Amino acid sequence: MAHPSQLGFQDAASPVMEELLHFHDHALMIVFLISTLVLYIIVAMVSTKLTNKYILDSQEIEIVWTILPAVILILIALPSLRILYLMDEINDPHLTVKAMGHQWYWSYEYTDYEDLGFDSYMIPTQDLTPGQFRLLETDHRMVVPMESPIRVLVSAEDVLHSWAVPALGVKNSRRPRTPKPNSLYCLPPWSILWTVLWNLWCQPQFYTNCSSSRPTSTFRKLILPHAW
Amino acid sequence: MLSTRALVRGLQAGLWRRVSTSTGALAAHAHASAVDVIDCSVPQYNNRLDTPLPDIPFITNLTPEQKTLKEKEKDAWTNLTKEEKLALYRLSFELSYAEMKKGSDEWKTVLAGIFFFLGFTGVLVWWQRIYVYGDVPHTLSPEWVEKQTQRMIDMRVNPVHGFSHKWDYEKKQWK
Repeated sequence: MAHPSQLGFQDAASPVMEELLHFHDHALMIVFLISTLVLYIIVAMVSTKLTNKYILDSQEIEIVWTILPAVILILIALPSLRILYLMDEINDPHLTVKAMGHQWYWSYEYTDYEDLGFDSYMIPTQDLTPGQFRLLETDHRMVVPMESPIRVLVSAEDVLHSWAVPALGVKNSRRPRTPKPNSLYCLPPWSILWTVLWNLWCQPQFYTNCSSSRPTSTFRKLILPHAW
Repeated sequence: MLSTRALVRGLQAGLWRRVSTSTGALAAHAHASAVDVIDCSVPQYNNRLDTPLPDIPFITNLTPEQKTLKEKEKDAWTNLTKEEKLALYRLSFELSYAEMKKGSDEWKTVLAGIFFFLGFTGVLVWWQRIYVYGDVPHTLSPEWVEKQTQRMIDMRVNPVHGFSHKWDYEKKQWK
């Protein structure tokens, strides 16, 4: 989850999110370089006492400032496309979970081995026990094993919903009756704690009560293959 | 009537164009605007740092005294007094370089306006905070925040670079 007044991304909990963090660093560095260059040029133009009265044409610099941005854009696009295709890989999931969006809660179905389904409502603020996170806690969490590829089929029952886990770099907006698979892979925790909580969000999709549906997922360490 | 038409025709052919574009005729029009009508098809005077010698002198219609001064300028310049040299300068140029570079005090007014509106916006924000906003949620009370923080530390929230990274788990204190 995010801590208060956090500005950057949460720490990555999946390989794809790590790639996204590195790409964000790369793209942001390019943005800083361009902005610094432009700011320097602006300050230099404003603070000079010299005037060039006889400039006529500038074909050399125009060639440079056409080719160079094209090169920069290619340098941004190549890693971006690589990550885009990485995110779409399907890698033989161990488990399939269906996440269905309602107004305003999520329902999960685990139908691989048994018929398990439950609804997951966000706990209202006045019902929280002390220490719980406002607008993030739910009564039933989606429990999935760690270090295993998982397929989550996201769909919606009524309106547009979005199922996202920021720490895993996953977001899936779905209209009703159009399910789409999402591959999750959660890296092991950095400690011996075997129950860790990542928070999923329902991203606001133009509906005012949408933030009151808060899917929360728990990733448990896979102790035995069949009983988790 | 025929004679007036011939007169108009003659004016159009002959001198109307010259008359209508002269500065006197243009200035005589009541344009009701504050901008002087400038004829850019003739050389003009300008005060610019990068043109030391404008196309025409500043004062072109000389009084008789100024005309005698101009005649005296054609002799040796060592015969001119300091006041005459200054008068001749002011005939050719409206502003000296020092006067052009001097600038104005407008920046003080601009800065004062910026501070005033910043302060006014601050007053609006403060008033809104006091009179419009409701109470903050009870989850922001110190006791709740303390329990919440402890739970975040136990859960290892963002342990690589973020929140839990700053907590020393051996010494049980912030780093």
